[in-house]
Amino acid sequence: MNITLNHVMPEPLASIKHSEKSIWGNLISLKSREKIMLNASSGKGKSTFTLTTIGMRKDYSGTITYNNQDIKAFTPDDWTTIRQEKVSVIFQDLQLFPNLSVKENLLLKNSLMDTFSESEIKQFLERLEIEDKWTQKGGLLSMGQQQRVAIIRALCQPFEWLIMDEPFSHLDIENTNKCMQLIDERTTELNAGFVLTSLGDDHNYNYSRELNL
Amino acid sequence: MLRKLLFQNQDKKQLVIAVIGAVLGITFLVTSIHYLLKVNEFGKGAEILGPNVIIVQKRVNNSAVFGLAKPDFSKQEIEKIKSKKFINDVKPVISNNFEVEFSTNDKLVPYFRSDVFIQTIDPEYMDVKSAEWKWKPGDTIVPIVMPRDFIVMLNTFMSASGIPQVSDDVAKDIRFKIKISNDNGEEVVGARIIGFTNEVPSILVPQAFMEYGNQKYSLGADQKITQILISGEESEFGLVEKMIDERGLESKNSQMVVGRLKSIVGTLILIVLIISIVAVCTAGLVLIQYLQLLMTRNDYEVRTLLRIGYHPKLIVKTFFRYFVMIFGIVAGIGLAIFFILKYFVDGLLETGGLAIETNLSYAAIGALVLAYLIFAFTSYRTAKNGIYKEY
Repeated sequence: MNITLNHVMPEPLASIKHSEKSIWGNLISLKSREKIMLNASSGKGKSTFTLTTIGMRKDYSGTITYNNQDIKAFTPDDWTTIRQEKVSVIFQDLQLFPNLSVKENLLLKNSLMDTFSESEIKQFLERLEIEDKWTQKGGLLSMGQQQRVAIIRALCQPFEWLIMDEPFSHLDIENTNKCMQLIDERTTELNAGFVLTSLGDDHNYNYSRELNL
Repeated sequence: MLRKLLFQNQDKKQLVIAVIGAVLGITFLVTSIHYLLKVNEFGKGAEILGPNVIIVQKRVNNSAVFGLAKPDFSKQEIEKIKSKKFINDVKPVISNNFEVEFSTNDKLVPYFRSDVFIQTIDPEYMDVKSAEWKWKPGDTIVPIVMPRDFIVMLNTFMSASGIPQVSDDVAKDIRFKIKISNDNGEEVVGARIIGFTNEVPSILVPQAFMEYGNQKYSLGADQKITQILISGEESEFGLVEKMIDERGLESKNSQMVVGRLKSIVGTLILIVLIISIVAVCTAGLVLIQYLQLLMTRNDYEVRTLLRIGYHPKLIVKTFFRYFVMIFGIVAGIGLAIFFILKYFVDGLLETGGLAIETNLSYAAIGALVLAYLIFAFTSYRTAKNGIYKEY
């Protein structure tokens, strides 16, 4: 699935001067299977990119299309299918349920498409060294642990694109590398692409392309 | 898991208060509708005249005695009464304008003969089976409704003659005959009692028989309407009674007492019903407001569920099912309390002399189902509007 941003300008960012290379106000195509780093300093609209690209914000001019279909015309049914099967997201604010356990947070997502077995999900936790948090409430975890749970949750579904909004902001280099490896394996397995927004750090990954805001 | 997530942020105290309010409202609603209908049905079938129907005549006063006031009703007078808002209809009570002789025609009872007065009223206002209440020229038997006083008189006569007294059912099997005549001729037909009445002091016959007699054996003079049948609006019997008094009319006291009693009790229950409807609406609103509050408290959870791929329909269904279940519990408790109340109220009414029917009123259950459906629909709309606003 190709995602195209055709002269998109979010209303809150319209008054800011953007560079000629910025995705804002230009025609940008995100080709299927591309692994893209979206680089920008604070306040340039990294989270706005995430939220507008997955249809959660509509306050922009221009058009965003999925395979040439304007996403503003999508119905709730369309968005449900897209969010279950086509586009997965790691939000900057993680969006976990603090009163549910790690297990419940992950199974709640996994049950939508029945992607993995419980033991497979536990293996992900082991790889990111948080297997002992299985029954602990999400709200009681450290930000780094929550971030790893949010990453695993995003992988518990089929997708063609994985949109990540500063997914490693609370992780050290070692944990970042483990997460990056897991993400790479899963996207390669699914033949999917990803967009990773970053404050400049490339996390030692060889991207297909780098975009700027 | 979805239910656990969405209903963990509840203020149970608020829910309990809303449920108690709804249970009270539902209980009053079902109870008041049930008793409103039962009180309206009270007396139905026991008497020949339908509910809210009375027969009136002009009160005899000194002017009437000296011929200064007319005892009969003019067409204008009837129209004027009919024009009142609380009056459904006014029909003349037709009397015989021919001679009528009534006698027994059965070996089992002693011979008894009397000149009598017969009347007919519109069958629309009579509580008799239409199949029984008909006659046409050539028929050998005419059905009649006898004043209950007649059976008392007949039994007094039988007792004095040393013959066992008769019950209502036995009296219906006794054969009678009616001779109708004028100076030019006479005709005899058999008669069979099909019912008794406390409300009309004369023998009632079908309209066709009266028309036949008045045409064929007319005594010549113009027929006067001395009695009229008035059908009043339900629960407005007080106004009918007031009008009767103001116009110098009178009716049998028993009819007035039952009508007045039904009107008073009916009005009281109607007030309770209105209060109940207000209570149910208020309780329903409180529950709906609670649903809105719950959705507001779960704003984050709902938004996140939608973001991670949950269909809004599934979230709407979860809220809807929960509230439909709560109102189901409310309806169940309300119905149970109604049955307990009914057990005691039926006993109280019977002790108080108002022995109404104790079977369940379907309209009351219908009202409960209707309230349930309205609540279910409102819950669904509220949940849908709340969830879909995220798009």
